[in-house]
Parts: sequence; structure tokens; C-alpha cells
Amino acid sequence: MNKWWLPALTALAMLHGCASVPRGNIPVVDSSTRVSNSERVTANQRTPVAANGTSQAQSLPEDSGVTVMIPQGAGASSIQTFPAGNAAPISSAPIDTTPITTNPNPIADEPFDIASMNSTPAATSAPTGIPRSAPAGGLSADEQLDGPVLALLTTAQQQQGGGDLNGASSSLERAQRIAPREPQVLFRLAQVRLAQGDSAQAEQLARRALTYANGRPSLQAELWNTIAQAREKQGDSAGAALARQKARVNL
Amino acid sequence: MTRSRNSRTAQKRSPGRSRVWLGWALKLSLVGLVLLAGFAIYLDAIVQEKFSGKRWTIPAKVYARPLELFVGQKLSKDDFLTELDALGYRRETAANGPGAASVNGNNVDLNTRGFQFYEGLEPAQFVRVRFSGDYVAGMTGANGGKLDVVRLEPLMIGGIYPKNLEDRILIKIDQVPPYLLETLVATEDRDFYSHFGVSPKGIARAIWVNTSSGAMRQGGSTLTQQLVKNFYLTSERSLTRKLTEAMMAVLLEMHYDKREILEAYLNEVFVGQDGQRAVHGFGLASQFFFSQPLQELKLHQIALLVGMVKGPSYYNPRRSPERALVRRNLVLDLLAEQGVASQEVVDAAKKMPLGVTKRGSLADSSFPAFLDLVKRQLRQDYRDEDLTEEGLRIFTSFDPILQMKAETAMSETFKRLAGRKGSDAVESAMVVTNPETGEVQALIGSRQSGFAGFNRAIDAVRPIGSLVKPAVYLSALEKPSKYTLTSWLQDEPFSVKGADGQVWRPQNYDRRAHGTIYLYQGLANSYNLSTAKLGLEVGVPNVLKTIGRLGVNVDWPAFPSMLLGAGGMSPMQVATMYQTIANGGFNTPMRGIRSVLTAEGEPLKRYPFQIQQSFDPGAIYLVQNAMQRVMREGTGRSVYSVLPSSLTLAGKTGTSNDSRDSWFSGFSQDLLAVVWLGRDDNGKTPFTGATGALQVWTSFMRKADPLPLDMPQPDNIVQAWIDPYSGQGSDSSCPGAVQMPYIRGSEPAAGAACGGEQQPADSVMDWVKGWMN
Repeated sequence: MNKWWLPALTALAMLHGCASVPRGNIPVVDSSTRVSNSERVTANQRTPVAANGTSQAQSLPEDSGVTVMIPQGAGASSIQTFPAGNAAPISSAPIDTTPITTNPNPIADEPFDIASMNSTPAATSAPTGIPRSAPAGGLSADEQLDGPVLALLTTAQQQQGGGDLNGASSSLERAQRIAPREPQVLFRLAQVRLAQGDSAQAEQLARRALTYANGRPSLQAELWNTIAQAREKQGDSAGAALARQKARVNL
Repeated sequence: MTRSRNSRTAQKRSPGRSRVWLGWALKLSLVGLVLLAGFAIYLDAIVQEKFSGKRWTIPAKVYARPLELFVGQKLSKDDFLTELDALGYRRETAANGPGAASVNGNNVDLNTRGFQFYEGLEPAQFVRVRFSGDYVAGMTGANGGKLDVVRLEPLMIGGIYPKNLEDRILIKIDQVPPYLLETLVATEDRDFYSHFGVSPKGIARAIWVNTSSGAMRQGGSTLTQQLVKNFYLTSERSLTRKLTEAMMAVLLEMHYDKREILEAYLNEVFVGQDGQRAVHGFGLASQFFFSQPLQELKLHQIALLVGMVKGPSYYNPRRSPERALVRRNLVLDLLAEQGVASQEVVDAAKKMPLGVTKRGSLADSSFPAFLDLVKRQLRQDYRDEDLTEEGLRIFTSFDPILQMKAETAMSETFKRLAGRKGSDAVESAMVVTNPETGEVQALIGSRQSGFAGFNRAIDAVRPIGSLVKPAVYLSALEKPSKYTLTSWLQDEPFSVKGADGQVWRPQNYDRRAHGTIYLYQGLANSYNLSTAKLGLEVGVPNVLKTIGRLGVNVDWPAFPSMLLGAGGMSPMQVATMYQTIANGGFNTPMRGIRSVLTAEGEPLKRYPFQIQQSFDPGAIYLVQNAMQRVMREGTGRSVYSVLPSSLTLAGKTGTSNDSRDSWFSGFSQDLLAVVWLGRDDNGKTPFTGATGALQVWTSFMRKADPLPLDMPQPDNIVQAWIDPYSGQGSDSSCPGAVQMPYIRGSEPAAGAACGGEQQPADSVMDWVKGWMN
């Protein structure tokens, strides 16, 4: 009789095994583990390279980094001025040498206040903590800042206000692809980088913005202030002071 | 399930010893029962493990850049429609439902599909785009309201496949289009909802149908059995396998409900082969055959896909369209027969063409060079398993429109130059980037654009010839106290003894000396003698340092021959170097990837825009000016026989010794392209930089129609009027006076005003005409 138990138990066990499995809802979507890489902005990874690049670029004046490299001796002595016998003349072919000003009408009549673009109060106290240098606080309006760029800047501002710095950064880069020469986009991007703790890139972006900000003094002042902030965070207080000075000159 | 054959056979034995036999039989059957039960438990474990765990590994999907739409955007209607076609938009008379578009004159109406991007969801919406010329002139939404910016969903350009090369797009059962489930059940297993895994009725019907029609029209296995077969078993045909399959099917049905089983089936079923890659599931099949998401499929398309399940290779609609059509219509008839769809609906569907796209538009082989770049970048950050199994979504900067234009420019130019002896053996590579963002937009790694293999754009390191010269002139122009664009250079033969003791005697391409020239002319006309002399004055190590600051770290020895481009670079490295010049002296690492999302659409990683100022913008401005003169009056001037003179461009030709490498690298405001032509065996080609690579480049630029180069004038740049013959300061009122940019303080003293009437400067142009390529 004992032998009966074995199959009976086996069958019972099997039936139990079949029945005891919950008929749970099994999702089609993979329940696999997340990819091992953690989310982080890779900007900092390049810091050594960046530092290297800066040291190589020593010919640039340390203070401004963006402009002004006036040669001593003003050229006259070193430039040969005698005509050469068989020299070909400079072609008058139509090289575009007209000075380019981004904004022919630098005095803005319509103040553009980034803070006022957004209804979220968090945005006004943006985590960058950049001091508003002028009571007007606004940047000069620019006729190029039209629909899509304004819309994306607004989105980015909301994302930044909500603490989503990566999202804000991504939206601003989207705006940059649409308007790569709009300094306000680069300015906002620099501020987001500051908030992300990447002050080296913040300074670089502000410097890039300055090259597009001719004739827009209040924006230039904001950019120099951003550079000052970034330099302070990098421990370069002398450079920060110089940048502050530039900011005042531009106002 | 637990029956044993032993018990039945035992009963036929003689009754005399039946008691003994019965006892034995009982014991034997019990043993059999135990064994079978054990086997069932084992099978049950297998069934559950695979079904409850991670069922599939999903290869990472790589997407092109999403097309952004906004008012004022430079985009031709034709390019826009090309993009829509690639995305599988249906052309309808009025755009109805996601993935539909209609064209009325300059207006294009479309219903976008919506997509989850890194920074948020782009909703599916109606958009009316109005074109004017090559620009987007207006954009309105469903209620006629103005839209600021809209993104289309990105084109999927490939995936990163594991070794088994299985690919699929997972779908959920509540996302499937109408008719799909009904058609599948009606065709493959009409008792699906009532059987318990195996269907005796179905088998009987199959036998009846097949014997009465005299052909294999129906199979007897249920959907559950088919799933079990695909999921757990090999394709071996044997009775034991068939029995195992039946047992597993029953076990599966015991644990999971019909919808779960159906959902698994929809994702598992094999529907075709794309080269090495196996296309599994209706989600991917829909993309593969129709370039459309499954949800958008109509009855005739569904019937085709369901019909193919029976024999994916036999009924392949691309290879055997007639056969596939017959099969599709047979499936449609079944639907009418079983009352799934009305006769009118079925008749309408039967009138439709097959509607499959020409080839798998998401084939891994479409853009191999760019995908190779993406994979290399990803492998630095992810493990292989992450890439092949996790279903990651990789968003790139790839621009399919520019890629197609680059490929067409390449093939057309080769066709045009086919007469040149030896041009057949010439290979090619091309890199297209946006210098303002540092993003790679198109990549060609081989003359046969769809051919995956040696990726010359990344791996062919070849002597860059005169492409190195801008670095020489930039090194000089960074010293404005010593060099300006109008400094005098001696283009005369000379020789130097190198560090290795060898005497180096550079020569001009035309074997002539050109005497005293302006500095910029050395670059514009690519003179070797004057450039080498200048480079030696500046110092070879300094020039190499400049190349490093331009973004390319080369390990070239500091030999004088490096000044004329004896050192090698890949086309990608050349693009990096020129990008820094194009981007005002700001170096940007080349990026092909923008961001990575998980399979669930959650942000995982971003590759942010990064820049590093490495040059004074003034010096860059001067080099750009000289490089513009390359195009206007120098070795690149043939471009303006094709391109409008209003399109300001800058660039440089490059030819290595004996024309082994033909290079051109140049840029507009928003587009940079590097072209290399040469032979894999490093043999001689019939092309110089100007007659080969530049021709491809010009053809590409004509198609791409970029924005003219327009670098803002830096603060430290002044424009001065000079006399073209003497290089001395002049005045705008003087005849023939030309304007040249100088770094402030280095300009010649202004000359006196000439007054009187201006004279035409015809003579100035005469010397230009003497120049040949």
C-alpha cells in the first residue's frame, strides 16, 4: 500500500504546483534591470582636456579670454610696406568684408525679461543665483527671438524651475539648433550649466555668446556676470573680478 | 495528460494470469505516471520560467534626428515630403488619423504620430505646413491656431543586434489595430478562445479540409502550440516533440489567460528575414513591410501579415508579390466566410494593392557608416549586453536628407568622372557636420554607400596634403605684430636640412616659383614654397601645437614635411580640425548621439553640447577670410561655376604626393563637409583635390543649399583700405583700393584720400585669370 503514496503525492504536488501559480498579469514590456550607467551629464568628464586646452591657449589674454589681442609695436615696424617687384595685387574679388553687427539697433525699446516669461515663481529664483545686475533686470529684446526660440526658452525655463536641469539643457540645445547664433540661448545654457555645477562649460558658453552679442550691452553685461560667477566657482577670484569690471563697463 | 499507454495494452492479456498482470500493469503504469508527472513538472517549470521572466531581449534602436518644423525654417517642400515618405506617412486626399498626410499646392497637412523624447513627450497632432520657396512660411494646428515649433517622430535608422540577430518591436495587445486579433484567430486557430491548448476539433477540421481539397490548406496546431513551438522548442519534426508541444501548450493555458498568450504570440511570431536579421512579431513586421506603426495598419495590410505567418519566406510580398496577393485574398475571404468582416469590407480590401515599401527602410544596412560611428561611441559608455538586450533608444544627429544628398553627390560625381583612367579603383569617404553644434549629420565610409565594411570616414588615416595649411597660416596670424594677411612672403625655392639629416626641398605643384606674394595668396593658391617657409619661421612644433588646439592630437614628428601635409588624418579628424575654424575658434567635440532613453522612455543619458575656446576670434576671422579667398580666387574657385556667388564659402583643397589622396574640406555658415578620394592600396589616382574631392563637395553643397558663411566681426578686427599693388594703406576713394581685415593695430596706416572719380579696377582681375586648377 505504501507504494500508492508515491504517485499520489507526486500527482498532488504537481497539481498543486500548477494551481498555485498566480495567474498574474504578465507585462509584455521587459522587466529587465536598468542599464548600469547612471544618468549624469558628461560635461565634467572633459575637464582635463578642457584645462589642457586652456593652458595651450595662453596667447589669449587671461582676463577676458574673448577679445583683444593688440600687438605691441602696432605693426608698422614689422610689416614690410615696400611694393614687391613681381607681386600680384590683392584681388578685389567680392570677399565679404563688411562688418557684421548682430543687431543694428542696439537700443532696445521692448525689454525682454526672462524671468517674466514664466509664471512659476521658482523660475525667478533660478538656482544659478545670478545677481540681477540692473534693476531693469531685463535683457534687450531682439528681433530674432521669434516663435520657436521663445517657445523653447520658455519650456526650458519651466523645466529648470521644476528642477529638471537635464531637460532644460536638452530644450536649450534644441533651441540652439534652431537659432545657433542667438546669444540668449547660449546665455541660458550657460546658466543651466552653472546650476549643474559645470562652471567651466558655463564660462565657455558665455564666451561663445559674447561673440554673437555685438551691440547688445545689457546682454553683454549679463554674460560677463555669468563668466564672473563661473570663475568664482572655479576658484579664480581675480578672473572673476576682471569679468565683473567688464560687466560694469558694458552697462 | 497523465494517461499511460501501458495500462491499455496490459488489459489485453490472458484472464488466467490477469490478476498478476494487472498488478504488474498497475505498478508499471504508476511508474509511468510518476515519470510523466515528473516530466510534466519539468516542462511546467520551463514554461513558467520563460513566460514569466524576461521574455525577449530587445536590441537598442537608433533614431535619426527628429525633423523640427518652425516658421522661417529653411526646408524645401520636396525634402519635407521625402522625410514624410521615409517615415511611412500615407498620402491621402485629407489627412485623417496619425501617419496621414495630404498635399495641396504649397500646403502640406499631416497628422503627426507623437513621440517620447528626452526632454518630454511630443504630442500627436494635426499640423498644416505652408511652404514658400524653400522656407516654411506658416504653421497652424487643428483649430487654426499658430504653432511655434513641431517635431516629427524620428526615423529609425537601425539597431544594435545581438548574435542571434532577433529583432522585434514590442506591442501590447490593447494597442493592436482593429481586425488583427480576429484575422489571426480566424486564419490560424478559429477555436482559440474555446480550446485548452490543443484542439481536437481543429485537428479534425484540418484533416477534413486538407483531404477534401487535396492540399495542405490548414494546419492543426493551435496558436498556443505555435507559440510553444517558437518559444521553447526546436523545429525538429517528431512525434515526441509534437507530444511535448501539446503538453506544454496545455500547461501554458493552465497558467495564463488567452489574451496573455495571444500577446506573446503577436510578439514572438516570425514574419520574415532582413538579411542577417530575423524579423519577429507584428510590431516590427509592420515597420519592416509598410514603414508604419502597427496601430495604423488597415485590413488589407493586416491580412497580408497574418497570411505570411504560414510561410514567411514562401509568401514574402517583396520577392513573391503574386503569391502573397493570392494568400492575402484567401485570408480576406476567410474573414467574410466567418463573418469577421462584411463582404463589402472584404471586397474593398481585396482591391487594394499589397502596399509594401520597396525594401526594409529600417534595415541595418541602410546607413552603415553612421551606425558604426554611433556604435563606437556607445561602446565607450555601455556594455554590449546593454545595447543588444535592453531596448535602449538612441537619439542621434543623423540627417537622412543630408545623407541622401551626400550619397547622390558622391555617386553622380563618380559617374561624371568615370572617363578618367583609374577612377574605378578610387574609394571615397565623406563627413558632413554642423559646425555650429558640432553634430555629425551624415557619413559615408565607402563608395558603395550601403556597404558595411571598412569605414574610411573614421579609419582611413591618410596624408592630408595642403589641408594642413590653414593651421600653418593660423599659427602665423596669431602673431599680428609679425604677420597680417598682406605681409609679404617669398615663394622661392629653398632647402633645409632636417633633424634626420635629410635635405628637404619643397616644390610647388606647378613646379614654378611665384616670387613675392601676399601672405593670404600662399594659402589661397596653395603654394608650397611660401607656406613651408612661413611654417619654418613659425616653427614646426608650433604648427603641430596649433593642430592640437584645433582639436586633433596627432603624433606626427616635427619634420618640415609636416608643414605640407605629410602627416595622416582620418576624414573625421579633418572635420574636427576645420570645425574649430568654422566655429570661430571654439572647439567642439564631434557628436553623433544626443541622448539615450530606456525602453520605457525614461531619460538615461545625455551627450551635451560642449565648447572650448582655443583661439582668438580675430585670428580665426583672418584665416576664414583667406580661406574664402581660396574659393573666390584660389584653388577652390571652380565652385562658383556651379554655386551662386552670393554663397560665401571657405575651404581648402588637399592633394598628397602623386595624387594618391584627393581631399577637400570646407564650410558654409551651417554646414561643413570633408571629402576624401583615394585608393585602398594607396596607389595613384587621376584626381587632385580640386578635380576630385572638390567636385563631390560642390555637388553636395549645391544640393544642400546651405547658408552663406557670415562670421560676426570680432571686436579686435578692423577693416582697412589698402592699395592692391603695394599693400600700403589707401582710402576708399582711391581707384582699385580694396578692403582687408586686420587685427587692430596691425593695419597699415591709412593713406590719403584720392578724390576725383573712381577708376574701374579691371587690371586687378587680370592676374586671377592666369590661374589654373
